[in-house]
Parts: sequence; structure tokens; C-alpha cells
Amino acid sequence: MMILWVIVLVFVYGIGAKAQADTTFVLESSVLTYHMSHPVHEVDGVSRGAKGRGVCGAETCDFLLAAPVKSFDSGDTNRDLHMLQVVRGAEFPVVVVKLKIPMADIAMKDFECELEVQFAGSTAHYSHVPFHQEINGAEHKITGVVPATLTDFKITPPSFLTVPIKNEIPVKVDTMWKMQ
Amino acid sequence: MLHAGRMLLLLVAVTGPGMWAQSAELPEAPAAQQPSLVADSGAFDFREAMRQQSAPLSSRSQQPQSNAPSLDDLGLSPNQMKPDPDLQARLDRRTHMLKVHQELGLITLAPLAAACISSAAAPPDPRNGGGNTVGRDIHVSLGSLSVAMYGATAYYAIRAPRIGHEPARGGIKIHKYLIYIHAPGMLLTPILGAMAFNQAANGERVHGIASAHSAVAWTTVATYSASIIAVSWPIHLPFHGSK
Repeated sequence: MMILWVIVLVFVYGIGAKAQADTTFVLESSVLTYHMSHPVHEVDGVSRGAKGRGVCGAETCDFLLAAPVKSFDSGDTNRDLHMLQVVRGAEFPVVVVKLKIPMADIAMKDFECELEVQFAGSTAHYSHVPFHQEINGAEHKITGVVPATLTDFKITPPSFLTVPIKNEIPVKVDTMWKMQ
Repeated sequence: MLHAGRMLLLLVAVTGPGMWAQSAELPEAPAAQQPSLVADSGAFDFREAMRQQSAPLSSRSQQPQSNAPSLDDLGLSPNQMKPDPDLQARLDRRTHMLKVHQELGLITLAPLAAACISSAAAPPDPRNGGGNTVGRDIHVSLGSLSVAMYGATAYYAIRAPRIGHEPARGGIKIHKYLIYIHAPGMLLTPILGAMAFNQAANGERVHGIASAHSAVAWTTVATYSASIIAVSWPIHLPFHGSK
């Protein structure tokens, strides 16, 4: 009987320790903005349709952010459909961003993180991407810029008047996470 | 039985709770789904808690991926995540056809401009008994070429697959509105031109609706040019500064 109690206690302790280590974050709101440059065009495409979740383990916090590609709106339906075609948004309808933040940095105002972005059928990794954080109670406002390029995702640059757009398509990430 | 119990106690004493914590991180126990001890603590000092937790964990070794949330945790609808190769094929076809539309549309500007320029030599000149027929023929040829190329340009836009039912927004909206002016203009201009040509050939002064040929032609060219600018709008000029 005593052995049974020991087993129960160990289980309870184990689950408790596990639950303490895992703190989850849910994305409350987000604005993802890509910027496209062309000699005669400067375009920003905005998505507010991202969903996200973060889980903090013992050493790192893993954040996952996903947005439908078609949720990006540049204010021009023709351009958005062209973007969808160029990035093969029907075949790969979701852009997925995975952030890995060391636990030691999670409460810092400025930190660097490892990023993995799945987009247009390719996966790109970015190291030491600077992010900024403002903490207000359980709310964490995390902002940063993903230094994405077209070549990272093997995207053929679309052209206008035979001049292709610039390779750089930085994506500004403005997210509000709520700790649960 | 007693021996087994002792062994178990020994095992627990040796391994301690850490092992259990590790085994709780197996993949089949997604952490995102589990309740957190701090779930209801609105005033929880996260910063302080993180400092305390991170103190003994100075090394930044990579943690196994088992805790990482998955796409299933996010609540995206299956429709949002489902690949649609048929839609991609239609998007590819649409882009191809609209690229041809764009190229033909720009090329059409050349015969249109030439037809406008040659129009100066088209009117009948009573002083030499009927006018400059060569100039008129050139103008008619260029006008006809413009109309034919305009038709081909329009064909590629009309036949391009429609995607979705969302109303047009942005420059494309004005581009489409202007069709209602330059498309009838492009049909009307050669008809009025033919009427004017016949009146002049009969030795008559161009009169009636045929006299509007020039005005209709210029309006058509102006709106056609405006529609090209509209679909490219807003145009960012490099010398106005860059971001």
C-alpha cells in the first residue's frame, strides 16, 4: 500500500513539475506586413489573420505563428492575386513562422531568436533576429522584422515594365501574446 | 512482492522526480493542450518566474521539439490549410494571360499614337481636289491595326480565369471603370472614321455624328492611356525619396 502511495506521489510531483515548466502563450492580435520594392512601386501587404501559440519549456520557448497567404492585403485585389500566384499560395496556403527563444531571454526587452519560416514550399532559417518586447501584466507585445528575401524561398521575382522587384521582402511582425 | 517494492523505492530514490519530468515531455503529451499552473494567475510575475527558472539553466542548448506547438493547436480551419492545385493552375493561367494582356496593351500604344499623329494628314483638302489620299490610307491602316490589337488585348483580359468573387479594389478598379469609356470609343472611332471618309469621298463637308470622329478618338486614347496608368498606381518616383 505504501508503495502505491509513493508511486502516486511521484506521478503527482512529476506532472506538477511539468505543468510548471510549460507556460503557454496565445496570440491575441497580430499585424504582419511585408514590404515590396520596385523602382516605381513601394507596396505593403498586411495580414491580421495570423494565429499563434507559444509554449515555454525548461530551456526554450517555442512560438508558432501561422497566417493564410491569402490574408495578406495590399489594397489592390489584382496585385494580391498576382502575389498569391507568384508565391504558390494555393499549393502552400499557410505561411508558418517558428520562433525559438532561450528561456533566459524571454523576459528581456530586446532579445534575439532563431526563426524558421515555411513559405512558398520552402523553409528558411534566420539566426539572431532581433526582436523587441513590451510586457504588461500577462500581455507580451513582441515586434521585429524578419529579413526575408525572395531567393530564400526560391520565388521568381515578379516584374513590372520588365524590371523585377527587389529581392528583399522584409516582413514586419507586430504581435500581442497573452500568457495563459 | 516485497522485493519488487524495495527495488521500486530504490529506483525512485536514485532517479528522482527529474526523470518523471523528462518522461512527461514525450511527444504524445502536447504541452499546449495541458493546463498550466499559472493559467488563472492574472497577476503572475512572469519576469520574476522566468528569472528564477532560467538561473540554473545558463546553457542555451536546444530543447527537444516535443513541447513546440503544432499547426493543429492554432485552430486554423481545414479550408485555410488545404492545398488547392486546381486554384494554383487557374492562378498560373490567369497570370500568364494577364501578362500577355499587359504586353499587348503596351504595344498597342504605338499604333494608337501613330494613328493620332497621322490623323493630321487624313482630312480632305479641297485645294487639291479630294485631299491627301495616301495620308488618309496610312491613318486608316494605323487605326485599323490599333483596333485589331486592342481587340486582342481585350481578349486576353476577358478570357483570363476569374478568381473569387471579391469586388475589385485599388488601381484595378479604375482600370476596369475606364473600359466603359475606351471600349465603346474604340468601336465607335472607326465607324465614325468610315462615315467621315465616305462623306469626304463624296465631296461633302464632314458633318453630323461623323464630325465627332476626332473627339471620340482623342477621348479613347486619353482614357486608354489613363487605364494603363491606373493599373500601375500608385507610382513611386525614385526622386521623390525611397523608404
